[in-house]
Amino acid sequence: MTEGRGKRGQTVVRCVEVTKRFGSFEALRKVSVEVRAGEVVCIIGPSGGGKSTFLRTLNGLESIEEGEIHVLDVRLPAGKREIERLRREVGMVFQSFNLFLHMSVRANLTLAPTTALGLSKAEANERAKRLLTRVGIEEQIDKYPGQLSGGQQQRVAIARALAMEPKIMLFDEPTSSLDPEMVNEVLDVIRGLAESGMTMLVVTHEMGFAREVADRVLFITDGQILVDAPPAEFFGRPTDERQAAFLSKIL
Amino acid sequence: MRFETHQLAQHYPLLFEGLRITLTICALSLAFGIVIGLVACFGKLRERGIAYRIAVIYIDFFRTIPEVVLIFWVYSCLPLMLSLRISAEASGVIALTLFASAYLAEIFRAGILAVPRGQIEAALALGVPSLHIWIRVILQPAIRRMMPALVSFLTELIKATSLLSAIGVAEMAYQASVLGSKTFAYVEFLSAIGVLYFIIIFPLSIYARRAERRLVSRTAN
Ligand SMILES: Nc1ncnc2c1ncn2[C@@H]1O[C@H](COP(=O)(O)OP(=O)(O)O)[C@@H](O)[C@H]1O
Ligand SMILES: [Mg+2]
Repeated sequence: MTEGRGKRGQTVVRCVEVTKRFGSFEALRKVSVEVRAGEVVCIIGPSGGGKSTFLRTLNGLESIEEGEIHVLDVRLPAGKREIERLRREVGMVFQSFNLFLHMSVRANLTLAPTTALGLSKAEANERAKRLLTRVGIEEQIDKYPGQLSGGQQQRVAIARALAMEPKIMLFDEPTSSLDPEMVNEVLDVIRGLAESGMTMLVVTHEMGFAREVADRVLFITDGQILVDAPPAEFFGRPTDERQAAFLSKIL
Repeated sequence: MRFETHQLAQHYPLLFEGLRITLTICALSLAFGIVIGLVACFGKLRERGIAYRIAVIYIDFFRTIPEVVLIFWVYSCLPLMLSLRISAEASGVIALTLFASAYLAEIFRAGILAVPRGQIEAALALGVPSLHIWIRVILQPAIRRMMPALVSFLTELIKATSLLSAIGVAEMAYQASVLGSKTFAYVEFLSAIGVLYFIIIFPLSIYARRAERRLVSRTAN
């Protein structure tokens, strides 16, 4: 299944010996990894292991102390302008949605395309409608985030990121703050994106989802990628002690 | 005693002249206070460095000393220090500007800090240019959130202008006490301005209270 997709393109993310520190604490320790266009990479591991930090270094939300990261044609660390340009091509979805609560769903989706891409109001609006249809909530376009359920809010957040037509999508535990009955509506949207060929890195605790959708699964703990394997191998034959312990706890 | 309405009927233009001065001084010190308050606010938001320290000292100092002391100091001491003449009205505007800017800086800062970090990160992650992040994601909700505090500070500022009668600024309270001593109709004039202050300030307080309640109920759900 992993090779069956036949969609491995050129390398779009390349981390070389990346170290990230908060004060003297090393949140990432010499992390090296590559992701190719079209790949779906799921990231799992215990809380505090560095999964969010890793994801956030990829779009410059966290600076790095050592090493370098190549994302598309940008090399990090980089200046403000370069990072801004990079962020327009890398979408991110957060555990806590982070929607703009004082803006309608429509304004949430059109803010970035109009200000960062220079789209006209009408163009951005068309795009917003199309994407809301794609995530199945076109009728909510004039509501405010506070009027929506958690699952709907996260789908708005996904549509908001897609409105920039990114080449890569980063998901940081997109279903972890949802009530159980809403998890699937969000996973379905992410699954659909994967099938459309989007390059994605997804931090998740949904093992069934990872097993089904991922091309590769990374196990991150103590700021290191200890395992990088196709899902069948990852879940079938754990190679690392801590990975095995983690899996036995969570499965 | 009799309530001598004819005294009011005869002298009310002076009370309204006082009211005009009260409102003008309020408007000027509010406008200057907003500008300086913004500077102090952004200084303090830096959280380190020389601008931060100056802002902290400035804000703490002018929030601590009583307004009356500030008014007398600007009126009596500042001209000596700078060896130039400052009119009572200008002294009043300067003193109330110092007072307002220190309070406004803290109101602005609280409003800006209340914008959830996650929303700013989401805007950054989308590649929204910083100017637009400031306007649409930070300031727009921050201004809405600080309206109740701003309006209730405005009521404090209006009340504080009455202290300027101590240095002879011909604002409303001054006019009332001068008219009172001239005509001995103290009760009439002081009651009249009491009512005028009430008419101006009470609606503002009601607005601030309602806006506060709306905010609380909005953030609750
Ligand atoms: N802004 C920060 N300041 C200090 N320490 C941080 C910060 N962000 C994360 N950390 C620390 O880095 C480590 C990794 O955190 P994180 O990447 O959020 O882990 P995960 O997403 O795997 O749960 C944790 O020990 C966390 O406390
Ligand atoms: Mg995390």
